[in-house]
Amino acid sequence: MQDRLLSYWLLVPAFIIVLATTIYPLAYSFITSFRAWDLTESRSPQGFVGFDNYFYAASESAFLNSLWVTFIFVIASVTLTVVLAMALALLLRRKGPMHTFTRIILILPFAMSPALIGVSYRFMFNPEFGVLAKGLGAMFPSLQGVPWLADPDLAMGILVLTDVWHWTPYMTFMCLGGLASVPKETQEAARIDGASNLRIIFGIILPQMRGVILVMAVLKTIFALKMFDQVVTLTGGGPGTSTETLAYFIFNVGFRWFDMGYASALAWILTAIMMFISIWYVRMLLSDRKIATA
Amino acid sequence: MKSFTSAIAIAASIYGAQALAWEATEGRPYEGQTVSVLAVKSSQFEAHEARLAEFEEATGIDVVYDYVPFPNMKEALTTEMVAGGDYDVVSVMDQWVVSLQQLMAPIGPGIEAQGTDLSDFPAAHMRHGMLDGELIGLPVRGHVQLLFYRTDLLEAAGVTPPKTWEEMVTAAKAIQDSSDAAGIALPYGKLNGQNLMVWMNLLWGNGGDLFDADGNAAFNSAAGVAATETYVGYLAEEIVPAGSAVFIEQDAVTSFKQGNSAMLPVWWWVRSQLTDPKQSTLTEDQVGFTALPSVAGADRTTFTNTWIFGVTEQSDSKDAATEFLGWLTDPALERDVLMDPDLTEVVAVHMSNLTDAEVNERWGGMHQAAADALATADGVEFGDNWPRIVLILETAISSLASGEETDVQAALDKAAEDIAAIR
Repeated sequence: MQDRLLSYWLLVPAFIIVLATTIYPLAYSFITSFRAWDLTESRSPQGFVGFDNYFYAASESAFLNSLWVTFIFVIASVTLTVVLAMALALLLRRKGPMHTFTRIILILPFAMSPALIGVSYRFMFNPEFGVLAKGLGAMFPSLQGVPWLADPDLAMGILVLTDVWHWTPYMTFMCLGGLASVPKETQEAARIDGASNLRIIFGIILPQMRGVILVMAVLKTIFALKMFDQVVTLTGGGPGTSTETLAYFIFNVGFRWFDMGYASALAWILTAIMMFISIWYVRMLLSDRKIATA
Repeated sequence: MKSFTSAIAIAASIYGAQALAWEATEGRPYEGQTVSVLAVKSSQFEAHEARLAEFEEATGIDVVYDYVPFPNMKEALTTEMVAGGDYDVVSVMDQWVVSLQQLMAPIGPGIEAQGTDLSDFPAAHMRHGMLDGELIGLPVRGHVQLLFYRTDLLEAAGVTPPKTWEEMVTAAKAIQDSSDAAGIALPYGKLNGQNLMVWMNLLWGNGGDLFDADGNAAFNSAAGVAATETYVGYLAEEIVPAGSAVFIEQDAVTSFKQGNSAMLPVWWWVRSQLTDPKQSTLTEDQVGFTALPSVAGADRTTFTNTWIFGVTEQSDSKDAATEFLGWLTDPALERDVLMDPDLTEVVAVHMSNLTDAEVNERWGGMHQAAADALATADGVEFGDNWPRIVLILETAISSLASGEETDVQAALDKAAEDIAAIR
């Protein structure tokens, strides 16, 4: 009995920290999302306005644009990251000095700060002195002087590129972990039966990696939905509003427009989207397990 | 919009006095108190901090500076306004003053008691320290726009510094014909409204304005369309560097410093960077300056930028903080920094220093040029929705520059609609 009581007491500090740093801000922002709060008028939240902030979002073109931009970004970023990570993991699964060395240096992009990645790529794609802009121009003369970040489609492409570059190493390591759990005997048996490498990958490895790939996809989707740092330092949401993601739009509403009530409502819309996707993925995972155990 | 506010004149007459050197309050009444200052990162403010010993010795007040880089400054001030209490004195850019008004406390009586001469500040700067007729801050850092140019490239092209925007285009093309440099570096990308700073001059020069007397959008008028077509048209005329559609101000400055552009319309404070061997390839004799070009037949204009220092509403040491403001805005302190041979600080906000013969001798007449520009510059009235208006306008310019939008009238009309729909 005493041991049980002690265990509860030991949990108290962690509980207080979670309460103060997560639960309280979440609850506060949820309540704020139903209030008016113009920071230019008041330092504290003003009156309750019901669902006004949510209704306003549904009719505002800037919000709807940011939702569309985020959708495009998430689809491109998640698909490319998962596919590339899987391909790299298949290349690196063998053991050898070169493979080990490659695995070590592969983690470097993930170790970099996203804001720094944005700044670096902004410099590298500067048409006047950017190393990538100059290099591409030297290799392909038709690309000389291309204003990479000035074109809405290219800017989105480069934003996706920076995110894929950042996340692929981490996802590759997740894939390598998953690959280690795929029984080698099955692959050997298939090989003896004359199956090609592609057949083994698509017929044996990928089906058994489905759980890992789903986890990768849900993680990457959640992080992609929150894309903010590179938008700030690489494109500033531009040109125009072509790379203005939802997280960046929420930041603008809160810290530039000073409309904290509306910003809170938008933040909860983003949270709801992430919760919906997470629940959907978990349900898929659980249904997978049921099939596996049936 | 562009008229002088009577409040400034009234304030100047109320508080106005002879320009006196700052003196500490007798009896050191605030001895032992600490004044915490939140300032934007700037070598000018670091020069002030380096001279604090004089103030601290005279008053017994300790002053502690914290610096925040410009891109993060507004967020830092917002946090201070909401969560508050950490700082007694803050630096606030003119465009943010109204939206951050909850942060600032009135300082009129305290400043009056110190005998600060408000009439020594140009009206275009001083107006941003006034809110609803009350003094809430004093200008410490203020800028006008100048046109910097490469003397060697203009000479080689056989052109003189342009006086009008039309002449600028001719000069730019001549320079491009005789060198590898782009004619002029301009910002079209999005960051704190930087792509509006030159565009506003074209708008005024064409006889337009941002808003009419009733506060309705006027920038989508024929004058606004003409100004925007001219500004965006420089991209089509290919007199700006490749990639300018996403250039922010610093990109334009870098292009000039690296020798890739021949002209640069920008804030005068940038002068100290242009020949700094640590960051520029240019030498002193390669860089010249002149007033910002005007639209042919129209008066010269300049957009202004002002940083005021004010005392926070939540400060526990308001009187000590006000005493510090008195010292900080002393023209003698500003002059000391301007004339320091170890520094390259050009920024001044006191007319007495802007027109000072020795100051002008040291800086090649730049300060007199600024004083002349300020004499006709009224500044812009920034309301509490200004940050959002800037975002809408800079997005419109960015969209047109990138080709995302091609119809100037439609883009400006859409911006006007978005501004009218602000809740």
